[in-house]
Amino acid sequence: MTPGLDIRERALDVWGGRITMRVKTAGEGPPLVYLHAASGLIFDPFLAELSARYRIYAPEMPGTSTGDPNAIHQVDRLSDLVLIYEETIARLELPVAPVVLGSSFGGMLVLELASYFPKLFARVVVFDPIGLWRPDLPIANWMITPASELPALLFKDRGCAAARAMFTPPPDPAVAVNQIAGMVWAQGCTGKFVWPIPEKGLSARLHRVTAPTLIVWGADDALIPVDYAKQFGDAIRGSRVEIVRDCGHIPQAEQLDTTVALVRRFLESG
Amino acid sequence: MGSTPEEKTASVARKIAGTQKEIDRNPPSSLVPANPMPSVHGQPISASIQVRTCDGLPERHLVRIDVGIRDRNVGMKVTAFAQLGYRQFPADFETRYDSAVDTPWGLVDPREVRAAHRDYLDGLMLAARSGFDGLVVTEHAQASYDMSANPSLTANALAYVTESEGLEVAIHPAGRSLGKTREPLRVAEEYATIDTVSGGRLVAGFPVGLPYDACLNNGIPPMELRPRFDENLQLILRAWREDTPFAWNGKFSQHASVNIWPRPQQRPRPPVWLTGIGNPGTMQAALDLDFGFNYLSFFGAKAGERVFARFWDLVDKSGLPRNPYRLGMVQLVGVAGSDDEAARIFRPHVEYMLHKGPGAVSTEKQAIPGTISLAGLQALMRDPGDFGLADRLRTIGFDEAVEAGAVIAGSPRTVIDRLGDLVRRCRIGNLHVMLQLGSMPRQLVFDNIGLFASDVLPALRGLWADEGWEHHWWPERLGGRPLQAVATAKTVGAR
Repeated sequence: MTPGLDIRERALDVWGGRITMRVKTAGEGPPLVYLHAASGLIFDPFLAELSARYRIYAPEMPGTSTGDPNAIHQVDRLSDLVLIYEETIARLELPVAPVVLGSSFGGMLVLELASYFPKLFARVVVFDPIGLWRPDLPIANWMITPASELPALLFKDRGCAAARAMFTPPPDPAVAVNQIAGMVWAQGCTGKFVWPIPEKGLSARLHRVTAPTLIVWGADDALIPVDYAKQFGDAIRGSRVEIVRDCGHIPQAEQLDTTVALVRRFLESG
Repeated sequence: MGSTPEEKTASVARKIAGTQKEIDRNPPSSLVPANPMPSVHGQPISASIQVRTCDGLPERHLVRIDVGIRDRNVGMKVTAFAQLGYRQFPADFETRYDSAVDTPWGLVDPREVRAAHRDYLDGLMLAARSGFDGLVVTEHAQASYDMSANPSLTANALAYVTESEGLEVAIHPAGRSLGKTREPLRVAEEYATIDTVSGGRLVAGFPVGLPYDACLNNGIPPMELRPRFDENLQLILRAWREDTPFAWNGKFSQHASVNIWPRPQQRPRPPVWLTGIGNPGTMQAALDLDFGFNYLSFFGAKAGERVFARFWDLVDKSGLPRNPYRLGMVQLVGVAGSDDEAARIFRPHVEYMLHKGPGAVSTEKQAIPGTISLAGLQALMRDPGDFGLADRLRTIGFDEAVEAGAVIAGSPRTVIDRLGDLVRRCRIGNLHVMLQLGSMPRQLVFDNIGLFASDVLPALRGLWADEGWEHHWWPERLGGRPLQAVATAKTVGAR
């Protein structure tokens, strides 16, 4: 969480009233939708940077919002989840088609949405997305990775400031319990749609992505090998691939400045 | 006890009350009963069984078995609980490998795998012939500490042999995981078959399923583990109950026509037991649905006693009587001539089992995100007491395991005292005793089962008889009084 940032929340009833989507918003400017990774939404310095030029809309995946863990049981399958997000974005009544960013699990969800609804987004940016599978390029199972090995799985330099910030629990034990339990539960919620192999037919749908697309990948991603960047690039016509050096699975955290520059250049190029 | 296997066996044989057992070096021809095996219910019979072990050594047991119904219908049920572990891993196994999901097959000698299977079945059959009330087997796929990938296979073999020998024991797979299975009707059919072959002696166990087994070994999304259990259980109960075909439109399975053959012998259904390690939701479900509840863990008595206290609290809150027969637990036990001898004999095998068995399954595989609710996660993080010794099993010493109650080992007197105390304090009406464990060789398993049967079991069997409860979660053929069967009988009688 970035101090000083004015983060608000909108609660939207969707899915026939069975789910309340909570969308965190911050910043001013053209609309930017951000879909979070497997462990839930963190309003990190990257989003804070973008909020200087964009109005950010960051929906929380059903089940990951505080006080509403059982919402996940209202979502039976990935295609329903895609429809729920589409309903949510429609309910935001944005003045123009938004740009969309997504990281890892959120990246996959972004590409699913862009496949189902090719006109939903003006531009698409994904960071190290899951969603494809090659038997010769195994993807680590982050849900059974011991906590002690997570820094090395997610960061090239596990001692960098972003890694330390992510893996230093809050000093108050009660707060820490809730935060860690919340992240574990969020992994369970997102994992419902990608277990046991995070490939649910996206490769057959990717040709439907027609919005200009940027694929950003950490060169040293230990969770999803960087070779997948080319797989996505080849499957999405007209897309651009940018490999970030000295970087693990989360470019927007480990190489913040480089990634912000890449994203801005792409979003503002057309 | 003597030092040679023959002397040991003879020593145990002498101790088996009312039985004789002798080793005969005459080479048997095959695994067939040497004498006719009359199925006489209620009458003592003599049975002579010739077997040839996997490595070709002949054995001959002459066993006199009292299969009479007599007082076995009153008091606590004591069953033999067994798992099918690989027994010859190297000493440093647990520092290099997990015992589940990814254990390298290259470590094993296939002949030892075969021998382990044979000894497992022989141990269970010896228990059946020695007066235990039931035989309990479990399911763990891709697990080197329990190669029983489908307990129905073992249970049906036991059902047939015990039936043909006239042994009045319950067959209790503890059992097929309903969070794991993608074919619930197959489970309904398997159990119905076991109940049919055994002539109505099935006690049907349904665990939710271990996260690593259901999710890693069978690809079930962790978040679906419990919803699948709930739906599959309803489908199986209905498939057993209904006389006419019905359509099933479930979230996890759809069937245009459900009409399994055979249906179980026990009508409307066999006794059902749920398995758990402390989740109040599972225990409440057992109470609400009139099932028994089995606490099956190796985490030690301290963790167990917390869970049992919670269970009886739920019983009270549900307005139900404190009938001890609705609760079961597993306990590791080693019996020998003296406490010192028990410690000497069982120490390496208990340590082998805990270190290289459940202790060698990493925490991450046991608690996969999504399998425990958010409230449950928060509760367990604030107070991990339900896990007891779980995080120490990989390195725990025998003495600490004894101290914590994870194992009870000693002379018959010591074992009777400690088991009796535990059972009385926690109101356990079904004691599942694990007597073949870890690296125990065949003969030691037989010794342990034999000595328990002769010197411990008689002292435990009558427990709870003084309180006069009926056992509603046990087959009618074995003296149980299933509530639904009672209700049916009353209706019939009224007409």
